[in-house]
Amino acid sequence: MRWFLGVVVSALLAMSAEAATVQARLVRASNDSKKADKRLTDIEVKLKETFGYQFYQQLGAQQRPLQAGTKLRLDLGREFVLFVMPRSADKHQRELELEWYSGKTLLVRSVVKIVENGHLFVKGPEVGNDWIVLAVGVRN
Amino acid sequence: MKSHNTERISALADGELKGLSRWLTHRHVRHCPQCANEYQRLQRVHEILTACPPAIEMSDSADFFWSKVRREVEAHEQETISIPMPRLSLSDWLLVHRAALATVTSSLMVVLATCLMLQQPRPTGPGAVMVERVDTIIPNTVATPLKGTDSDVAVIWVSGLEWTPDLDQMKECFNNIET
Repeated sequence: MRWFLGVVVSALLAMSAEAATVQARLVRASNDSKKADKRLTDIEVKLKETFGYQFYQQLGAQQRPLQAGTKLRLDLGREFVLFVMPRSADKHQRELELEWYSGKTLLVRSVVKIVENGHLFVKGPEVGNDWIVLAVGVRN
Repeated sequence: MKSHNTERISALADGELKGLSRWLTHRHVRHCPQCANEYQRLQRVHEILTACPPAIEMSDSADFFWSKVRREVEAHEQETISIPMPRLSLSDWLLVHRAALATVTSSLMVVLATCLMLQQPRPTGPGAVMVERVDTIIPNTVATPLKGTDSDVAVIWVSGLEWTPDLDQMKECFNNIET
């Protein structure tokens, strides 16, 4: 029975030790593109439901493991930067403080509670007929 | 009866068979010399046993005998008797500890199911992704939290940002904003 308990405890510890990763993607929503961006396959349906555009192109993306008390910088290209500060976490939900910059200008800051495989979409500036969208997700 | 079955022959000789099985066994014995021989041997044994009943004489009367037995039992009633446990094979052990085996198996299944549930994404319910606070410091701009189409999606809608025809002008525009 002792070996069995040992196996169970080890498995639970191994699972809890998995680090969650925050991923940020800079997306251009458009009706003019010709084909879908395969890198956005996992969120394309949700983007369409949310913003209504037909095509979504990934301009830049970065992901980094979350560390308690550490402010992360995610460079998304085109001078867009997202700062992520983990505030608290339980088994399934994480509270993150986000700051989205364009160059030195703070576009928006927010505190969100986000679940694993959940998504936060931020509708940003309008460029021509398109929108710039920030997509943030957390996964293990 | 297709094969020689000595148990059936013995049962026939003992008069234990009835009906169809008795008829079938009789029929086989009639046609099978080997079984007929066995049947005759058993019948002979029966005859001998019937002719010579065991003559066992009890030294005591039945009542007296049983009273002795009762006394013996009462005299040894308080004694502790240790019965050595035979060494069990794995299959015997599993048979004896069926309840323990079932408990361990079900516990294992519960633990495995729990582990699987922990690894599964949490079922999305209301408030699965939630914007606690949002603001922007750009003048004439508003950031509004909105509910997504699904509960695992939240949206922040930043409106009032200046429109630009392309990305280069957008960068220039944001660099010139005074906050």
